[in-house]
Amino acid sequence: MVYELQRLRTLHILLVDDDPDAYIRIQQAIGSDFHLYHAQSLFQARQHLIEYVPDIVICEVKLGKESGLELCRFIRNTPIIHHLPIMLLTSLTTLQDKIAGFDAGADDYVVKPYDARHLIARIRLLTRMKNLELQND
Amino acid sequence: MKKVLVIDDNPTIVELIKYAVNLQSAYEVIVAYDGEEGLKSVYAENPDCVIIDVKMPRMDGYKLVRCLRGDTRTANIPLIILSAMTREEDQMTGLLSGVDEYLTKPFKPGALNAAIERVLLLTPADRQRRMDYLLQTHAERE
Repeated sequence: MVYELQRLRTLHILLVDDDPDAYIRIQQAIGSDFHLYHAQSLFQARQHLIEYVPDIVICEVKLGKESGLELCRFIRNTPIIHHLPIMLLTSLTTLQDKIAGFDAGADDYVVKPYDARHLIARIRLLTRMKNLELQND
Repeated sequence: MKKVLVIDDNPTIVELIKYAVNLQSAYEVIVAYDGEEGLKSVYAENPDCVIIDVKMPRMDGYKLVRCLRGDTRTANIPLIILSAMTREEDQMTGLLSGVDEYLTKPFKPGALNAAIERVLLLTPADRQRRMDYLLQTHAERE
């Protein structure tokens, strides 16, 4: 009960990025207002999603030999988590990359480098917008 | 002359918007007929203002807005949604996506031109303040 109340106040984020330093950079950017979990591969991300559903998934597109777009498609095709907000936070900047990201099911596409305040606002706005959509469905 | 990009899949609506915007002869109007074409036009044409429909093939207006706001190169382009979707939730989704103004169809030429003039005056600081305000008001509702 206490845990659930805590969760109401704090957003839980699953960060998927194969860069070990990504977690530290994002943690520094968003501060202590969020619970941040880090997966460095698609396997780890899927394992996490099976065990625990976050409020939002933030995912890099380039994951070594893997692609974050695969995770987008996995989430959109998995009934229990298909509604999750997905933000692609990536160094890929071409139009084709962006179109492919949205085609794969992403809700938002943020290009690195990012401004910390801007990123926090977008995380909160995206989660609220998706909640609004869910309420209206 | 300021450049206004209109992104709408309905050619009749596009002509109406062009007519309305040209009443003041203050803007050059360019057109794209779906979200993806619109996204390409933004980067190719670097418009001063973009008028965006919501329901479009290939990429809807909300995603287009988020895509533009997520890239520092396009994050501060003035954006107006002009949509037939009139529910409060639709407008809120537009604002949460990062649009500067949400207008509904049918529209009055004067209202559209006034909105264009307003968004052209917005600064990055104005947008940040609006974002903060949206976050605050939503937090209070929750």
